[in-house]
Parts: sequence; structure tokens; C-alpha cells
Amino acid sequence: MLSFVGLGLWDERSVTVEGRETLRGADRVFAEFYTSRLMGSSLDELEAFHDCAIEVRDRAGVEQDPDPILDAAADADVVFLTAGDTMISTTHVDLRMRAEERGIDTRVVHGTTAEAAASSLTGLQNYRFGKATTLPFPFVHASDGVPGSVLDTIADNRERGLHTLVFLDIKVKGSSTDRRNADLATDERELEEFMPADYAAELLSEALPETLGVAVCRAGSPDPLVVADSLSALAERSFGDPLHLLVVPGDLHLLEADALRELAGAPAALVDEHTV
Amino acid sequence: MGRRKKIVQECEKLMDKPEQIRNIAIAAHVDHGKTTLSDNLLAGAGMISDETAGQQLAMDTKEDEQERGITIDAANVSMTHEYEDRNHLINLIDTPGHVDFGGDVTRAMRAVDGALVVVDAVEGAMPQTETVLRQALREGVKPALFINKVDRLISELQEGPQEMQQRLLKVIRNVNELIRGMTEDMDDVDDWTVSVEDGTVGFGSALYKWGVSMPSMQATGLDFGDIIDLEQNDKRQELHERTPLSDVVLDMVCEHFPDPLDAQPRRIPRIWRGDAESELAEQMRLVDDDGEVVLMVTDIGIDPHAGEVASGRVFAGGLEKGQELYVSGTAGKNRVQSVGIYMGGEREEVERVPAGNIAAVTGLRDAIAGSTVSSVEMTPFESIEHISEPVITKSVEAKNMDDLPKLIETLRRVSKEDPTIQITINEDTGEHLISGQGELHLEVQTQRIESEQGIPVITGEPIVVFREQPTGACETVEGISPNRHNRFYITIEPLSDELVETIQLGEASMDMPELERREALQEAGMDKDTSQNVEHIYGTNILIDDTKGIQHLNETMELVIEGLEEALDDGPLAAEPVQGSLIRLHDARLHEDAIHRGPAQVIPAVRNAVHRGLIAARVKLLEPIQNVRIDVPNEHMGAASGEIQGRRGRVDDMYQEGDLMVVEGIAPVDEMIGFSSDIRSATEGRASWNTENAGFQVMSNSLQEETMKEIRERKGMKLELPEGVDYF
Ligand SMILES: Nc1nc2c(ncn2[C@@H]2O[C@H](COP(=O)(O)OP(=O)(O)OP(=O)(O)O)[C@@H](O)[C@H]2O)c(=O)[nH]1
Ligand SMILES: [Mg+2]
Repeated sequence: MLSFVGLGLWDERSVTVEGRETLRGADRVFAEFYTSRLMGSSLDELEAFHDCAIEVRDRAGVEQDPDPILDAAADADVVFLTAGDTMISTTHVDLRMRAEERGIDTRVVHGTTAEAAASSLTGLQNYRFGKATTLPFPFVHASDGVPGSVLDTIADNRERGLHTLVFLDIKVKGSSTDRRNADLATDERELEEFMPADYAAELLSEALPETLGVAVCRAGSPDPLVVADSLSALAERSFGDPLHLLVVPGDLHLLEADALRELAGAPAALVDEHTV
Repeated sequence: MGRRKKIVQECEKLMDKPEQIRNIAIAAHVDHGKTTLSDNLLAGAGMISDETAGQQLAMDTKEDEQERGITIDAANVSMTHEYEDRNHLINLIDTPGHVDFGGDVTRAMRAVDGALVVVDAVEGAMPQTETVLRQALREGVKPALFINKVDRLISELQEGPQEMQQRLLKVIRNVNELIRGMTEDMDDVDDWTVSVEDGTVGFGSALYKWGVSMPSMQATGLDFGDIIDLEQNDKRQELHERTPLSDVVLDMVCEHFPDPLDAQPRRIPRIWRGDAESELAEQMRLVDDDGEVVLMVTDIGIDPHAGEVASGRVFAGGLEKGQELYVSGTAGKNRVQSVGIYMGGEREEVERVPAGNIAAVTGLRDAIAGSTVSSVEMTPFESIEHISEPVITKSVEAKNMDDLPKLIETLRRVSKEDPTIQITINEDTGEHLISGQGELHLEVQTQRIESEQGIPVITGEPIVVFREQPTGACETVEGISPNRHNRFYITIEPLSDELVETIQLGEASMDMPELERREALQEAGMDKDTSQNVEHIYGTNILIDDTKGIQHLNETMELVIEGLEEALDDGPLAAEPVQGSLIRLHDARLHEDAIHRGPAQVIPAVRNAVHRGLIAARVKLLEPIQNVRIDVPNEHMGAASGEIQGRRGRVDDMYQEGDLMVVEGIAPVDEMIGFSSDIRSATEGRASWNTENAGFQVMSNSLQEETMKEIRERKGMKLELPEGVDYF
């Protein structure tokens, strides 16, 4: 049996009760933290809390050489862990299908994700989000500034009145400037710098200065922070510890506008401009 | 005032009178007497003493050149000469003749407008004679001929006037045949063949310092009969005094070589692809001294005091100390620290070097041989292509760990000074690779690291460089990224020889305007649609983007190219460079989000697809080969041709020339290592021989696997060949 368990957003306690029980019954536990990681706890804390040994796999160990995980799952209960949900953002559907192909039963235990937090902390309706996108550090795509596809995604969504969830890049330690997104990391220890929301706002404000943006910081932690303002104003602020993400709202429904004003301190005039 | 200072002053006076300037190179087959001839000219101009001229070899300034008795580095010198009551400034470059240093010749040709081709009267036109002529004509440089060592015909071979004349005419005929063949397609020149009547041919002895030409014979009244007389009666000094070689040659240079005003309008369109209508183009064509500064760097040398010295041709404007100049291919500007001209081995600083001259400049930190340096940003000059790629390589390690940083720095500089050297730095193992044109090339360079830089090094045995090349076309292969969200669909086929050559010659490159590139590729046989979809050229490989309207592909293309280059740098068979392949990208599936189609996904997907595609296109190993020519007395001919055949070689031709037999053929470079001593003992030292790199050739099937395994073992790769390599 291979169970995919999402650890949720923040620390060892963000997992669901079902997830925790699945972990407790597991013979072996594998994990990958190259996609994202729990900012609120270390591997040791995670192992101590769940009373298990966690075998961390690098990218190659998951994507290119998954056999040891599958072999183990063939005749024992194995759990595969990630932060957030195992099938969202970096989808591990490939690993699941390989298991199924070998006749191994699989199941998915969900975790909460940034996607859920982006709606629930801002009051923006999940029905009204368009395509999501990731904002990479400059140079990652060999061109300066913001890749066209990111701006296109935001523009297409706004055209249709939809909000855009913008994930923010993670830099890799000790890598040269032209190779530094999280995609290259093979191990969580290589992840070093998390793009802060003010930096992201600065990058985007070149093209969209007076556009409303919402910074969502440390979702899932005891002290999350949500701030709405123009992108150029957000660029001037700083929001504390990671992880951050950014939402670029499209048209605002009345209740959404109220929520941004009340819960995220959005300037009334700016919110009015976006309200239909 | 010292003599030298006086010459410098005279030169300076002439520098801004382009009609009185001649920029020339002396070029020839190895040992035909270029440097000895240069001595004569220096003595004629009063720069070295008349007594030592001919033996001093003043242009061979480096210790190892004097020791080995050959020229290694091209050397510049400026001198003046009175001709028809007018003083002339002659900027001369003495070039090396040994085939391993051919890169220096190519680069020198960019700086000059005329080439004095020297041919040994006894040996006649030899392989390198042809090569240097080609190098000159390709650059739009006008040739003239000096037939040297005529004393040997008289004193050694005891030839009479009749025989001598026949022999000399034959040399002229051969040279003209070459010139005619090479200029056939050049519509910017008329007849550039040489002739005695026109005065574009001179004869003489650089060693005994006499020379004649048609005009000189008319002036002095000396004919061949008189010359034979004097030479045979050991009256060489008298001969020298009555008809000094330097006057004859320098008169010929002033009369027959174009001045910059004549040459630049013809040469600029050949070597520069910028906008011909622009003001800058006009300034360069007109040798405009008041225009923007434009310098083409053709050589980088090291001065013990001043550090790096760039030399090259000033095509427009005037170079002065303190100027801030752009260097092509780099950001920012460099500040000129000094400008000067060459006086033999040394530089003399001057105030200003105007258009039409060859200058020595310090302060251009970022310049390499081939850089365009200018006061405005401009389209760079065509790169100076030296067709011969490195064929032989050896490892260099510092004996003492402490020298490691210095060695790396030195190696980097070596490749800056000599672009025909390739350096591979391996900081992990400390075992760096130096690759070059031949055994001598590498030997000279590594010895210089020891003697000039004082870094003791350990060098490995020389080994040849291999290539990998597809031999057929393949069906579509799919490359899948590790996360399996990104897929690339490609095919690979071999490029035609004509297209490969077009790329090698720089006639089609990514630096040139798209339209021009398309035309050049179509001319070389590429169909129109394909030529319009060229996305990248790497080495002699072309990437074609045949996809249509795939979202996000433009953002991903840089990574596709990175993956492609990685795959081509280390081919699938033995991690040797891939050449001559046409890669078509037919289709791609990409992840929606930029992060999931980043470098770690796209690069391996493309690399993998290219490698599998190459294997499906039956990629094979190629080895470098050489043309071999052996001149040998009849009784040793069998032994000589045996030496070629015994080296997996092929004898193509054997014929009589004079009293010697000539054996011509080809053989793999790998087998030619150690040839010198074997041929010497096989022919009792009676043979002379020449080799010339002649590109790469597919190895026979029976050797493919064995060679691959040898290379893989040496490189510490898995011995097992990749899947699908089973077609030998
Ligand atoms: N007999 C005779 N020997 C000559 C003459 N010119 C040069 N030599 C000899 O030929 C040999 C080669 O002369 P160099 O001037 O070094 O030839 P080079 O063409 O500069 O040689 P590389 O630069 O190494 O290609 C020397 O031994 C010279 O003395 C000549 O006119 N007559
Ligand atoms: Mg020489």
C-alpha cells in the first residue's frame, strides 16, 4: 500500500488527523521537500512528533529512480509525504500511476494548500480565480524581469474578471545567477531564499503599478498576515518571515471588496476601482 | 638622436598619408626563408646591421624560436623606404610557416593589404604555399611572389641559365594556377596572377642578400648570366652590393601592393557585414582619419612590462591614449593606455595611430584576437575563421599544488593569445586539457608555460581529438522531462558537406542579419522553409524550429538550446563533440507553469532526446586525418610509401619532381604521432615531409567499438555502450 499524505501548510501539526493516523501505521515513510517545505518545523521535529523515521528523497530519487519506494510499498505500508498536498503544484500522480501499474494499492490523504489559504484568508471567492502562475526569480528563464507568460496569465484572468494566485519562487543555495529556481534543487537543504511578497510586487509593478495586489504571508501559522494595496505600495513594505504568496484580484464582488478593506486594510478608493 | 628614434619619427610623419603606406605580410611554406628575407628588409631600412642580416633572424624574437630555428609567433615591424622620390611607410608582418601555427597567418592577413608569398626555388610550391595563398585571397589581400634560395640552383644544383629559367617559370606557373583557381569566384578583383614582366615576381637569395626583378635588371643591367657568374665565383658580396635584395623587394612592395585607400573599399565589404550605406561604412572605406575609431584586433601579445598588448589594423579614425572604446562581445568600455608601432621586437609609443596603419595598443583588457574595438557601438567584423580545428590534446597539471591558480590563469591567457588553442579547465581534478593543431603546437605552448611563467608542469601523452556525427536520418524521438510534464519531439539528420563548410567559413552564422543567413544557407543547398526556421547554430550543427504556435515555447527556447549544447558538447558515444547534424524540433508539450518547465526539467529532456536521436541516426566516431607529402630519393620511395600505408593510411599519388619522388596520401593523425623519427630511420634521413590537417573522417566500423571503449575508459565513463549502439 502506498499512501500519499499531505502535511499541510505550516508545521508538524498542520496535518489532518487521518494523515497522522496513516503515518502512525506506516512501516516506512518517504518524503520530498524540494517543492516546498514546512517553515514552522524541522525534519527532527516532524520525526519526533509522529514518532517515525522519515527517509528524505531528492528529485532524482523520486523522478528518476522511484523503484526503491515502489519496492517497499509492494509488501508493506508505505507513506509518501510532501508539504501542502501531494498532488498539487508538483503532482506526484506519476509515482501513483507507476504504483498502480505494479498492482500496488494507493490512496491520497489530503493536506491544506496555498490554494485554499489564498481564498480563505483573503475572502476572495475560490470560484472567481483563474489560472495560477509562478513568478520566478529574474534570470531563471534567461531573460530579465518577468516572463511574458506570467503577465499573460494575469492579463487573461483580469480580462475575464478573475483573480490570479501568484506562487513565489524559491532560490537555490550557492548556484550561479542563471540557475536558481527551486526546480533545480535536489534537496531541501539547498533551498535558501524565498521570494518575499514585496519583491514580487516590485517585479510585477513595473507592468502593473496601480493594480491592486494582496500579500498572503505565513498562511497556516499562528500569525498569518494579509495586506492589500497597490502593487507599487506593496513593493515598499516588508512582510516578515516566509513563505509568502501574492494574489492579483480581478473584478471584486461586493463582499470581496468589504473583506479586503476590513481584513487586509485595502485603501477604499483602490478597492472601489476594482469593484463592479 | 639615436638611429631608432629617427626611424620612429620618420614613420610618424608618414602615418597620416595613406597613399604612402603599405601593410604587408610575408607568408610561405615552412623554411622557405621568410624571416631571413625580413632580415634583409630590416637591414635595408637601417634597423639592423648589414653584416648580421640573413643570420640574425631578428623577427624571431623569442628564445624558443631562435633555438628551434622556426618562427612561432607572427611578428610586426614598421620601416620606411624611398621609392620614386617618395618616402613610404611599410608595416610588415613576418608569419610562421609551420602548419601548426597557421592560425597566426590567418589573423595577420586581416591586418594587411598585400602578401609577399615566398617560395623556395628548389622545393617549389608546397602544401603550405597553397594554404597561405588561400588565406590571403579569402581576406581580399593581394599577392606578389618572391622566389628565394636561387643561390642553391646555381651553387648546389649547378643549373645553367636554361634549366634555371625553366624551373623558375614552372614555380610561377604553379603559383598562378593556384591564384587563378582561388580568385575565379571573386568578382571584386580582376587579374591577380603574378608575372615577371609586370614586376610582381622577384628572385634572389635571402641568405646572400641579393635579388632581382624585371625592373631591377633593367635598371642595373645585370642579367641571369652575370648573376650565375658572380654567384659561382663566390662574389656574393659584390652581387649583394650591386643588386641588394631589400631594394628590389621594397620597390616591388611600394609599386605593386595597394595602399589602404585602394584596399579598404574592396576589403571592407568582404570582412564587415554592417550597413553598407551607413556613415561608418563610408568612413572605413575612405580610411577617414577624422571618423569614428575602428580597430580590428588581430593579435594579443604579452609584454613583460606593459602586460597584454593588442595589435591590429586601424580601419577608421585615429587611436590615442585615453580613449574609451567599446570591445565587441563585452559590456562596458576599455581605456586605451598607450598606442604605438612595432620596431622589431619592441614597441615604440607614439601620440596617435591614424586609419590605415597597424597599431600596438595597451589597456584593452577585454580584447581578444578577433575583437572589434571602436568608439561607437557597431556590428563587429566577421570573425577570423581558421578552419583547422584542434586535433590533438594533452593534459597539463601543475607539479606543485601552489601553482594551480597561476596555471589556470596562464592557460586562459594562452587561449586568448592563440585562438587556435582550446583549453578545458577542470578545477575538480586539476588535470586541465590543452588542445591544438599538432604535436609541436602543444609542445611549444607547454614549454612556454614552464620557461616563461616558471610553472613546472606535468604533461600527459598527446592524444587525438575525436568527433561524433550522424550518418543517417532518424524517425521522431521523444524526450521526456524528469517530472514527465514536458515533452520534446525531434528528428536528426546529417548536414551536407557544403552546409558544414558554409558554417565553418563563417558564411552563415547567428551573428549576421537573418536574411543574409537564410540566403547563405539556401545557396549551400538548404531548402527555403528549413532556412527560415533556423533557431540556433552550434559548432557545425543547426537547430531548426519546425513547431507552430506552441504556447510558452519562446520562453523555454533558451533552455532547449542549453540542453542541445550540452548534448552536442558530449556526444552519446564517447562524450566527444558532435558535428554536422541538423536537429529538427517538430513539437513540444510544456507545463503550464514556468517553474515546472525550468532548467532541471527541460535541459535533461532535450539532452536525452538529442542523444537518442543521434543514436537512431547511427552516429559514428570520426578521427582527424592529415594530408601527407613526402619528398624522397627514388631508392627510398618504397620505404616512404610503406610508412604511410603502415599507418592505416592511403597513398594517393606518386610522381617524379626534379630528381626526387613525391609520395602523397592521407593518414589518421593518431597514427602520425611519432612519424618524424620513423620516417627518418626508414629513409636514412633522406626524406623531407609535410603534413596538413585535413578535417575528420568516419572511422572504419571495425575500429569504432574498440576506440569508443578506449576513450570511455580514459574518461572514467561506463564501459558499456548506450542502448541502441549496435550498428557497426
Ligand atoms: N641557401 C639559402 N638558404 C636560405 C635562404 N633563405 C633562407 N635560407 C635558410 O633556410 C632556413 C630557413 O630560413 P628562415 O628564414 O628561418 O625560414 P622561414 O620561412 O622564416 O621559416 P619558418 O618561419 O619557420 O617557416 C635557414 O637555415 C636559412 O638560413 C637562401 O636564400 N638561400
Ligand atoms: Mg620564419
